[in-house]
Amino acid sequence: MIYCSVDGALMMTHPGLPEFWGICILIMMILTVVWAMTAPMTAMKTAMHGAGALTLARLPVVGNGVRLLAANRWVPLVLKLAMVSLFLLVIAAGLFGTPFPERNLATVLTWNLWWGGLIFSIFFLGSAWCAICPWDALAQWLVRRRLWRRARPNNSLNLRVPRWLRGVWPALWLLVGLTWLELGMGITLDPHATALVALLIVVLATASLAVFRRKAFCRYFCPVGRTVGSYSQLAMVELRPIDASVCARCKTLDCYHGNQEIEPCPTGLVMGSLKQNNYCTSCGNCTQSCPHANIAWRLRPPSIEAVRGARPQTDEAWFMVALLALTALHGLTMMPFWEAWMRALARAIGDSGGLLWSFSLGLAACLISVGGLYALLAAATHRLTGGSQPFRRYLTSFAFVALPLAFAYHMAHNLNHLVRESAGVGGVLRNPLGVGALPLGMAEKQIRHMNMLIYQDVVFALQAGLLVLGFLIAVRIVRHRGASLLEAGAGSQGWRLFPMLLFAAGISGFNLWLLMQPMVMRM
Amino acid sequence: MKRLFLLLLFLLPPCQFAGAHHVLGRPTYSLSEDSNTPPSMQVETQIGAYFVSYMAFPAFPKPNEPGRVSVYATRLDDGAPFQGEITFSVRDDSWLDGWFASRKEVLGVQRPNDNTHRQGFIFKNEGDYIITAEFEDGGEPYIIDFPLRIGEPVAVGPIGVAVGVITVILVGVNLVQRKRLPRAGKQGRRAAS
Repeated sequence: MIYCSVDGALMMTHPGLPEFWGICILIMMILTVVWAMTAPMTAMKTAMHGAGALTLARLPVVGNGVRLLAANRWVPLVLKLAMVSLFLLVIAAGLFGTPFPERNLATVLTWNLWWGGLIFSIFFLGSAWCAICPWDALAQWLVRRRLWRRARPNNSLNLRVPRWLRGVWPALWLLVGLTWLELGMGITLDPHATALVALLIVVLATASLAVFRRKAFCRYFCPVGRTVGSYSQLAMVELRPIDASVCARCKTLDCYHGNQEIEPCPTGLVMGSLKQNNYCTSCGNCTQSCPHANIAWRLRPPSIEAVRGARPQTDEAWFMVALLALTALHGLTMMPFWEAWMRALARAIGDSGGLLWSFSLGLAACLISVGGLYALLAAATHRLTGGSQPFRRYLTSFAFVALPLAFAYHMAHNLNHLVRESAGVGGVLRNPLGVGALPLGMAEKQIRHMNMLIYQDVVFALQAGLLVLGFLIAVRIVRHRGASLLEAGAGSQGWRLFPMLLFAAGISGFNLWLLMQPMVMRM
Repeated sequence: MKRLFLLLLFLLPPCQFAGAHHVLGRPTYSLSEDSNTPPSMQVETQIGAYFVSYMAFPAFPKPNEPGRVSVYATRLDDGAPFQGEITFSVRDDSWLDGWFASRKEVLGVQRPNDNTHRQGFIFKNEGDYIITAEFEDGGEPYIIDFPLRIGEPVAVGPIGVAVGVITVILVGVNLVQRKRLPRAGKQGRRAAS
């Protein structure tokens, strides 16, 4: 624990990554970039169906659980009921409980545990969260008026989403808005506001389901769902056909249309042609409706989709770049110097009050600088590689470089919150509304900090490992995607990809610097 | 050693540590002059040439309970505390009252005591209020508004609004569907025949 004085205010901060780890990571990054520029490249092959994947249901111990989940409808239902109960408790705690954020279930569970832990769950479980999401469950029960099974008629207008709303732009703007509320308005420390935002999203999800076809909210609008979807392209698991030839011969497409009992795919996916995780909500409708029992959960190398398989659209590409910017902003705002920066900016522009204009400018600057840097270096790569393909293809294809960088830093950053600030969860679960609770004292904060869930050195090692993993995957993406964009016979000209390697190294270096700074405790 | 360290932490002077990175109001846990139990609500802001710290004791006052607001304003350039008078006033910020019949009432005019301007208050009714602190320096007026909640917040409001909106949507969709489905059914039968 470090006490840090900023403008006379004493802050409690988590220690940053030690210098030793910083130097090790830097050396590794330099060596990797040199290797990437000099080693011969093999041209990218089309992603082979199921290459390197292992069907989870066939594994000895895990297999039973996976089969149970895939075959039974009551298991997801029970999980949904549990999540909805917890969600309603969060709303009640936020609206009726104590305003002390560290004593209220709404803020502790939402921002410390759920938002912190969700990012980790994606790596191991993909978009499993979406399958038990309480926003969607409540919306589904309210509109369809059924706990499970297909509702006919489904009580929705089933309108097509207007063309201008299709794509992930709405989710991107909502994510920026959520970040503004979280970091600018400080709703992470306001149980009441946390409950209001949660309620607002229920209203949006319900309205969307009542008006639009399938689950348009999950596919186009949900900022959390799209973040989960993007990151799940780096997950260890995927839901895919067991045998592609069975899907090729399938005439009924029950996964897409549903059947008498089972709802169709909520995001309109056809499993036979599915190559990306990002729109799969792991709901399991396809595993239950497939008449050939040909859909299964599979274990796979985490980077395979981002490196080889996925083909992002423009909006998806910018969503990934924005994710990178927003994760960096999360880190920046928790640095002790952030408030001093904001005050200096406020003085310069004549901002006063909550300094929301200053924060908004900071947010915009972060988005523009990361997006601009990416576009600039993609343009430089386009020029250096001869420009045989349109620039737009460079922009979309290389955007995947942003994904592992954002994901790795996001996990490393959240590890601090999870491990160092979750010690008081037991107390909050025993008294969710914080009735009669006193504010968290300095000494208790200190005790919580010392009762970390895992040793500090292990936390540092994990953070360093995550950054290294993210950077290595980013370099793999640059090389594999670059190989397909280079002209034929340019296999040994990896140096032409230097701008994109510089982007990966620069962002990783910045993230490393952020992690090495002391971080202000959230609560 | 560990106990000694914890004891030292307890004995740290009332510090103004910031709980997080954001810039809005937050409960702080410094001790008040009168009691060490009620927490204060502290807001930090800057306006013009001044950095202003505002505190309300207790953080969540109840009707007919005496409370106090304290304002500590320092110049941004040299840190000198403001030594002039500050006028404190209050107006109702509740939904309808705040919009249609917002009356401003002066609470008092205060000079600094130990560089801090203090203003006591007692509210008879629950509600959301805005306390305004006004002062002048260098010929420029400074007006700072702070929200203050008296009594328990009306928590049914957001739930009521959410339930209301969802009900309107569901009923609206249901009514439209009642017209659409028979029409679609007729068209389907016509097409089949």
